[in-house]
Amino acid sequence: MSLNDFIRDLDTLVDSAVERFNEAVDKFDGDVLEAARVEFLGAKSGKLKSAQKGLGKVGKDDKPAAGKRFNEVKQRIEELFESAVAKLSQSSGGGPASEAFDVSLPGALLPVGHVHPITQTIEELKDIMGRLGFAAVEGPEIEDDWHNFEALNIPMEHPARDPLDNFYLHAGAKAAGGDMLLRSQTSTVQIRVMEETQPPIRIVSLGRVYRPDEIDATHYAMFHQIEGLMIDTDVTMADLKSVLHLFAKTYLGQDVEIRFRPSFFPFTEPSVEVDMRWNDTWLEFGGAGMVDPNVLRAVGYDPEVVTGFAFGLGVERLCMRRHGVNDIRHLYNNNVRFLSQF
Amino acid sequence: MLVSWKWLNDYLQLDVSEAEFCDRVTMAGLNYDGSESVGDDRQLDLEVTSNRPDWLGHIGIAREASVLFDLDLQIPPAQVTATGPAISDYLSVTIADESFCPRYIARTIKGVTVGPSPQWLARRLDTLGISVINNVVDITNYVLMEIGQPLHAFDLAKIDGSGITVRQAHAGEKFMAIDHKTYDLELGDYVVADEVGAVAIAGVMGGADSEVTEATTDLLIEAAQFAALPVRTTSRRLKLKSDSSYRFERGVDPEMIDWASRRCCELILDMAGGELAEGSIYAGSQPQPRKSVTLRLGQLKRILGIEVPADEVERILSRLGNEIESVASQKITVIPPSWRRDLDREVDLVEEVARIHGYDKIPQDAAVKMSASHRSDADRVRSRVRSLMIAAGMNEAVTRSVVSSEWSAAFHGWSQSEALTVTIPMVRGEDCLRLSVLPSLLGARRMNEKFDNSPIELYEVAKVYLPRKDDLPDERYMVSMTSGRDFRGLKGVIETLVHSLNPTVRVTASRFSDSLLDVEQACELKVNGKTLGFLGLLSASAQKQFELQQPATVAELDLSVLEELTVLIPQHFDFSTYPVMTRDLNLVVDETLTWDQLEATVSASAGELLEKVEYREIFRDTQKDGAGKKRVLFTITLRAADRTLTGEEADAVRDNIVAACEKQLDAKLLG
Repeated sequence: MSLNDFIRDLDTLVDSAVERFNEAVDKFDGDVLEAARVEFLGAKSGKLKSAQKGLGKVGKDDKPAAGKRFNEVKQRIEELFESAVAKLSQSSGGGPASEAFDVSLPGALLPVGHVHPITQTIEELKDIMGRLGFAAVEGPEIEDDWHNFEALNIPMEHPARDPLDNFYLHAGAKAAGGDMLLRSQTSTVQIRVMEETQPPIRIVSLGRVYRPDEIDATHYAMFHQIEGLMIDTDVTMADLKSVLHLFAKTYLGQDVEIRFRPSFFPFTEPSVEVDMRWNDTWLEFGGAGMVDPNVLRAVGYDPEVVTGFAFGLGVERLCMRRHGVNDIRHLYNNNVRFLSQF
Repeated sequence: MLVSWKWLNDYLQLDVSEAEFCDRVTMAGLNYDGSESVGDDRQLDLEVTSNRPDWLGHIGIAREASVLFDLDLQIPPAQVTATGPAISDYLSVTIADESFCPRYIARTIKGVTVGPSPQWLARRLDTLGISVINNVVDITNYVLMEIGQPLHAFDLAKIDGSGITVRQAHAGEKFMAIDHKTYDLELGDYVVADEVGAVAIAGVMGGADSEVTEATTDLLIEAAQFAALPVRTTSRRLKLKSDSSYRFERGVDPEMIDWASRRCCELILDMAGGELAEGSIYAGSQPQPRKSVTLRLGQLKRILGIEVPADEVERILSRLGNEIESVASQKITVIPPSWRRDLDREVDLVEEVARIHGYDKIPQDAAVKMSASHRSDADRVRSRVRSLMIAAGMNEAVTRSVVSSEWSAAFHGWSQSEALTVTIPMVRGEDCLRLSVLPSLLGARRMNEKFDNSPIELYEVAKVYLPRKDDLPDERYMVSMTSGRDFRGLKGVIETLVHSLNPTVRVTASRFSDSLLDVEQACELKVNGKTLGFLGLLSASAQKQFELQQPATVAELDLSVLEELTVLIPQHFDFSTYPVMTRDLNLVVDETLTWDQLEATVSASAGELLEKVEYREIFRDTQKDGAGKKRVLFTITLRAADRTLTGEEADAVRDNIVAACEKQLDAKLLG
């Protein structure tokens, strides 16, 4: 007899023993129990005894394993019998046990926490972009004029630089690249990466950004952005559209059409707004474009040699739409009843 | 930009539906934002990007539509007939600073009759939601909305002297605007002034004294160009935003200023009568000749990824008003129109071609090259930290990076410096870049207590901003937490976290003092001699400061230290399959002896059989042991790699430990 056959027989034996002893308990019948005892544990012709005979037929090398298994099974069947005896003797009155075990009582719950929906959204976006070959990078949240504006082709007279539209730090706080401010976009990270790395580049930069705004249901002075950047000798707007198409498809889980609308951003030329068609309506997805030659020059690249695209998305909008959050303030109130929903 | 459908049709015959029109202009960059009926007209709301000030007038939008729908465009010639004496006989214009005002065109009309506007004009303005004042003022607004060039009409009789000057305001100069409010001007503001004082804040708003009323008969019509930055600075500081300032901030067409002036006079003569003075005053300089721009056709494929036929490129550029200077093989040189100051580089022309040719021609299924990307170690560590934190029952919070000065001063574990501050508070009273995330989490804790939420277990992974001299601040990611557990409960979370990142690292604790934390139950945590972070029970005063009903614990860990200690790719090692032996020990030691010290002695003296030391309990029996003593119960677990240990071996290890503790720590074994 092979070891496998021997073990299979033992398993069958246990299964039938469980059934028979449970039947005795359920029927609350001592006779049934006695019959089961004889059937399995009978000294002369009990099934266990028969099984033991099989042990002798197992090959020599398999003997220790077979013996170990047999002992386990024997012990298990003895336990079943003893447990049944105990249950039948508990209430000699003849009715069901006086302390009934209620399997429907609630389990002891684990106190499990929840990851913030914004983090979940960011992780998902990073994950998708990672699969498309874009590595996630981060940079400082407090920036200087050079990285937040100048290098991004946003000159001094551009309205985006108005001191009232930015969180500038108090005077005296100056870094190498000029006045310091809380970054108003994550494009700053792209500048830092390009300053330090030669193409090809494929990154997503992400994190908190800040712009003064009255806080209400749709506005918050702090929010999150994710921006993609791809630079190489042959990157075109068709690559941009195709990457965004793959991105949208992956994010939404089904095919979706991508549309470009002309727009304006100082750091891209051409610049477009990106829409995706979802349930027969065009949804705004974010801004994008081909990296402006002035930006490429600012980081020491030659726009005659390399081209690139960049795109940016607001994380809050995606997160709120995905999870049906109707007020941006929920995201930052940190009510545990809100946080526990995700 | 609000647009009247009827008005647009003054310049071209739009034979398309409103919906089709809106769709096409949206796809050309003029984003449709909505529309409504006003009287018998339709008002369209079209969003104009800041690079296209030429779209801030009906002619500009009609011009775009003429390209999109291939229609002829009719722009009024704005011809006027002068019958009065020469303007230069009685008026002069001086520009003090041409960098602010490169050019200023003045015309005068005498003998007008100011009164209500004709109905068609009133309706036009009404469609755009512009108040109807009187015919002269309405005409200036009309021309503004027609071509995007701001105009101002002064009551000439109220202008003192014969000369007007465009100059900087004097410090402390006061000015009463048309809204009859008085504004305090500063150096850096610019005004249009007569011999007595300012009659207008240049480009922003006219003055009450010289405004055109029913009594006005003589007019000075101003059409000028003012620089964007000063106009914006002044208008924002004074909170005076006008249709004029909006356009100057974006730039006007320097070659259409005179047209606007003539057009304004033409309409005034037509509707209010009067006599136009001969000529005009043109102060300042002529616009620079426009420079040509060359587009190499190969750049279209290189940037857009699609070919556009040469004749299509030429057609688009030409229809957009570019003057074709030369067409050679594979390149085309043009002089952009006066209203498109944004076109001065090759790539700008690429965008124009793409925009009109249609972005829908760009495929969305190009074969983008494959590329490897590696998830950063920092990301991996953060993700493991998050997994462990949620397993510990903590909810992730996200709080604002900018806090009040009270909160910013509440914990100084990482920096003794004053926090950096921003010039605009993020919300009222909050202008400090935080030095710790803990106060924000305590704020969230209070809010949750108010809602009777329970349990309140929060963590956040966010940055603190530690000031550095003459440099960007030291931004450090923290893993911060607040809990309803007690000190050891939260310490257990931290130890579990560290253990999960690297099972061989030991966290040591030393006493630490900060006003946020309890005097006794507070510590600095270290790994390998480096500060990992801080942990403690909230002090009574802090609990009060944060208006918390229940005691709470807090901890803040430096994520970079966690990153450094993390073993990202654990390695397998063989482990012993022999059984363990345990021994319980009960030592009487000095009250001041710490567990860290005791454990170190135990570990050092136990030898290599020791697998772990587990703290059990502390008892005190001053009657038997005397004051200043405590009993520490702990269990040692022993195991050998190659054999089953005997009781004698285990006892020998225990005896070694006891001997070492007696000798080094003055401990005494009980029982």
